[in-house]
Amino acid sequence: MKTTENIKSLPTENLMSITNGKAKTDLKFAFIDNKPYEIKDGETILTFVRRNFGNELVPTLCDAPNLEPFGSCRVCSVDVALQENGSVKSQASCHTPVMSGSYIYPSSDRIQALRKNIIELVLTDHPLDCLTCEVNNNCELQEVAAKVGIRDVRYPEGKNHLHFEKDFSHPYMTSDLSKCINCFRCVRACDEVQGQFVLSMAGRGFDSHIVKGSEVSFMESDCVSCGACAQACPTSAISDVFESKSIAKVETTRTICTYCGVGCNLEVATTNGKIKSIQAPYDAEVNQGHTCLKGRYAFGFYNHQDRLKTPLIRKNNELVPATWDEAYDYIAAKLTEIKNNDGPDFIAGISSARCTNEENYLMQKFIRAVIGTNNIDACARVCHSPTALGMQRTFGTGAATNSVEDLKYTDCIMVIGANPTDGHPVTGAKMKQFAMKKPSIVIDPRRIEIAKYATYHLQLRPGTNVALLNMMLYFIIDEKLEDKDFIELRTEGYEDFKKEILKLNMDEMERITGVDRNLVRDAAILYASSKNAMSFHGLGVTEHSQGTFTVMLIADLAMITGNIGRPGVGVNPLRGQNNVQGTADMGCQPHQGAGYFDVTVPEYHKKYEEFYGAKLANYAGYKIPQMYDAALQGKLKALWLMGEDNVQTDPNTNHVVAALSKLELLVVQELFMTETAKMAHVVLPASSFLEKSGTFTNGERRIQRVNAVVEPIEGTKPDGQIVVDMMNKLGYPQADYDPKTLLEEISQIVPFFAGVKWDELGDNGKQWPVLPDGTDTQILHTETFKRGRGKFVYNDWRESEEIVNYGAEFPYILTTNRELEHYNCGTMTRRTGNNKILTEDVLMINSVDAKKILINEGDMVCVISARGKIDVKAKITDEVLPGILSSTFHFPEIKMNDLTSSIADSEALCPEYKVVAVQIRKSKGQYKINPQRELIDTN
Amino acid sequence: MTETKEIKFNEETLELVQRIIKRYPEGKQKSALLPLLHLAQAEFDGWLSAPTMDYVASLLNILPIEVYEVASFYSMYNLKPVGKCVIEVCRTSSCWLMGAEDIIKYLENKLSIKAGETTEDGMFSIKTVECLGSCGTAPMMMCGSQFHEKLSFEKVDNILDKLKSDDKRKTYFDAVVVEDY
Repeated sequence: MKTTENIKSLPTENLMSITNGKAKTDLKFAFIDNKPYEIKDGETILTFVRRNFGNELVPTLCDAPNLEPFGSCRVCSVDVALQENGSVKSQASCHTPVMSGSYIYPSSDRIQALRKNIIELVLTDHPLDCLTCEVNNNCELQEVAAKVGIRDVRYPEGKNHLHFEKDFSHPYMTSDLSKCINCFRCVRACDEVQGQFVLSMAGRGFDSHIVKGSEVSFMESDCVSCGACAQACPTSAISDVFESKSIAKVETTRTICTYCGVGCNLEVATTNGKIKSIQAPYDAEVNQGHTCLKGRYAFGFYNHQDRLKTPLIRKNNELVPATWDEAYDYIAAKLTEIKNNDGPDFIAGISSARCTNEENYLMQKFIRAVIGTNNIDACARVCHSPTALGMQRTFGTGAATNSVEDLKYTDCIMVIGANPTDGHPVTGAKMKQFAMKKPSIVIDPRRIEIAKYATYHLQLRPGTNVALLNMMLYFIIDEKLEDKDFIELRTEGYEDFKKEILKLNMDEMERITGVDRNLVRDAAILYASSKNAMSFHGLGVTEHSQGTFTVMLIADLAMITGNIGRPGVGVNPLRGQNNVQGTADMGCQPHQGAGYFDVTVPEYHKKYEEFYGAKLANYAGYKIPQMYDAALQGKLKALWLMGEDNVQTDPNTNHVVAALSKLELLVVQELFMTETAKMAHVVLPASSFLEKSGTFTNGERRIQRVNAVVEPIEGTKPDGQIVVDMMNKLGYPQADYDPKTLLEEISQIVPFFAGVKWDELGDNGKQWPVLPDGTDTQILHTETFKRGRGKFVYNDWRESEEIVNYGAEFPYILTTNRELEHYNCGTMTRRTGNNKILTEDVLMINSVDAKKILINEGDMVCVISARGKIDVKAKITDEVLPGILSSTFHFPEIKMNDLTSSIADSEALCPEYKVVAVQIRKSKGQYKINPQRELIDTN
Repeated sequence: MTETKEIKFNEETLELVQRIIKRYPEGKQKSALLPLLHLAQAEFDGWLSAPTMDYVASLLNILPIEVYEVASFYSMYNLKPVGKCVIEVCRTSSCWLMGAEDIIKYLENKLSIKAGETTEDGMFSIKTVECLGSCGTAPMMMCGSQFHEKLSFEKVDNILDKLKSDDKRKTYFDAVVVEDY
């Protein structure tokens, strides 16, 4: 511990000369143990003392790095006097602003006695079973007790709460409230960090106790298992089944979560090469000590017994174990045969947004330079390809313009077609906190969690985004709220655009969208008149037949109001998968290579040919949907999949299965035997993100280091190494998979990676473009757009062909969504405790519709589309309007994608998962009616 | 005792609810929580069930847990089913000096329940409470809105008989009848 003597403080004389002299100064001082120190704006006594003396001098219990000061435990009390050695008053330093000229005595005898007494009183009601406690040696109460020097408790044993029962109801969260010290940290974490309001303090005085909901268990409560309370609790009163606060571990590794585009930093604890638990580091810029149940708890898949551990080759229509060499030889022979007989364009690859930048780079290099075709695409096709294309057309760059941190600087957020509290939980929690305090607009067919807090919720009919955004633009122009200077200086095409918008008939638009025009007008006025307004969008924007156009309109909204190029504004796609940004950056697209250069432009074609030292195709390849069509027409014979389960996740399953069955060679790199892997000719067992290193680029262009936590599970290889092995096998020399050397290679071809170096990325990564000197970029388009001027392009709303063709016969609209607990097709999350929290896909249906088809909550509903029919359990809810249904495709049993169509975005070919014309009826036969429920009588 | 009826105020009460909410500034409707909980308790069997608290939360557009933390803080709200007549006996200094403990024991013996419990027939509950502001007439107890003061065992007998014969639920909203001493 530092002592007062060896702290370099300002000499008293200097201060006196400043304060006594005539010269005015803005500097403010306070005294710690009679020596003066400068005060910074907004400091509390605690931050002031800690800034000068470190954390050791003043102990705290109810204070936590990611929570607001609270002042409940009083352990941080210090003595404060108005004169040197004057009469003192004890103040809780954590929430008392430091006063200029005050004298602070942080560790006087009086204060030390006070602290000791406080802890003694706490210990009268705390079990002294430290030796067997989970947090032994990592307990803040224990630490403070040691610091204040408790040797015995002077108070006699009295009434206590040691009889409180433990709660083991939940697959992750646990509580033992006999160890609770009523510091409110869990309650505040639940309120301030996650915003779920599950935990609270009930009763008063001696009866005060922490409750989950109204005295229910964790499992019965509305808990979303984010674990913020467990991490916040200073004792083991609230913890988790992985005992993440226990120090019975030998090593921690910092890495990046693989579950979504937020890119949370994780601190993974391992014992003897096995993962024990995960916590979120407080110094992470992305997630500041917070993460969700997927990041924190859903890691059990990594050593699940179902992991694939050996290559498999199809022989006599059965997948049988093989060695790596056998598998590679088999593939090499087949690929060479197809390439020689039919040409390289009969081969295609699909890369994965779950894999690292380096692996994606290798995959596209393999397909382009070794196979010799541009038939390379990635799963971004089925999620955010319209974002990349739409933003490229308007701005020149298809990436988020700002950072999530900008929520601090914005005055209004607009969330379109995204359900961030489920899809991007950490960003979602931040938005929810924002929406509780400041104006927000939510545009979504469902009354999603954040819509409940929004100023305006525009609950439109699925498939009418373009019409609704055109309405907003109309009202902005009508109200003369355009930013004329911005339009004049930075954009082009506005006059024509304006003319088209003003031609629109608002009566018609109102009828199409089903949203009251006054509501749209109010929302438009809010967005346009806020000083800084920021938009976020998700797959509810892109997975439509007019996805690209919708993205362009969102960009138009930002331009017409001048919300571009400074903190707190911009267009910010919430990227679905952890590395969907990186996949496109690395060139896993059929028309653009690494760094987004058009492969058909001779100059760039030549550049790539020289860089890879190989002959490349100079025409664009197949997008994923085109690959299926080509396979069905016999124009594609081999497909290589890196970690994607197309059968379960791509729309119109029957079409996908038919296409894949026609292939002569289907290679699948996978962790588990997925529905797609079952159809493969060769299955190659890959390593998960916990077993390899590399970089992921999150939704705000932040390139972060993924560090291998454990060795690859025996028998598996990192996806990148598999691709390298294959490249070498086919005669292209490529060094073994190593992120450091690969980043060096990437930085030479991808301009915005120019200054990215493995050793310099640090804990929090860098946001591209990274200049050669290593400087990164938080905000894009500050001076000019990438394409020069931002371009306004008008597009008319068009009804989806799905509705036009099938709407009469199938009058309901099914839209797909996702739930917090599961990730996409659930290959990983279904193999973790999350499966006990959310056990099945359900169909959300409005009570009006439920009554029409005579079903009750939990009954099975038969959903029929033009492609297929499925049975799914009903959940009656007012989250969806009458006529609208919503469901997930996390579980393979339900086969939700048997229903979805092959209709896709007209520009980027992203499938229209969000609009499916269906008919519904009560299921017949194949289920048991719950005998306790009676049918609703509609007569 | 816990009749299943729909948790919803009648029109008249809902109007009163709106009047109460209007007492507070725009956006501060949460301040109306205490009076609304009293209304709800009076209306729905003398106690606040989870569905009742959820209903109050929905009226004020606040979270259910915000209601629960308040309801569990104040002793005037019952979070468990109670009898038709909740007898609240003051146990603070003046009453205590004047024999409140004996009154409580007498009540407990007579009704064969402990303080905090409810008789099997659902008629009476006994609660001990802090000062009700009637120290000059100690010992005293309250049932519904009615004070019963200068208590003796005999007087307690009479009060219980009267309550039993009335057989009505007593609430804080009953009209106050001034007893003649």
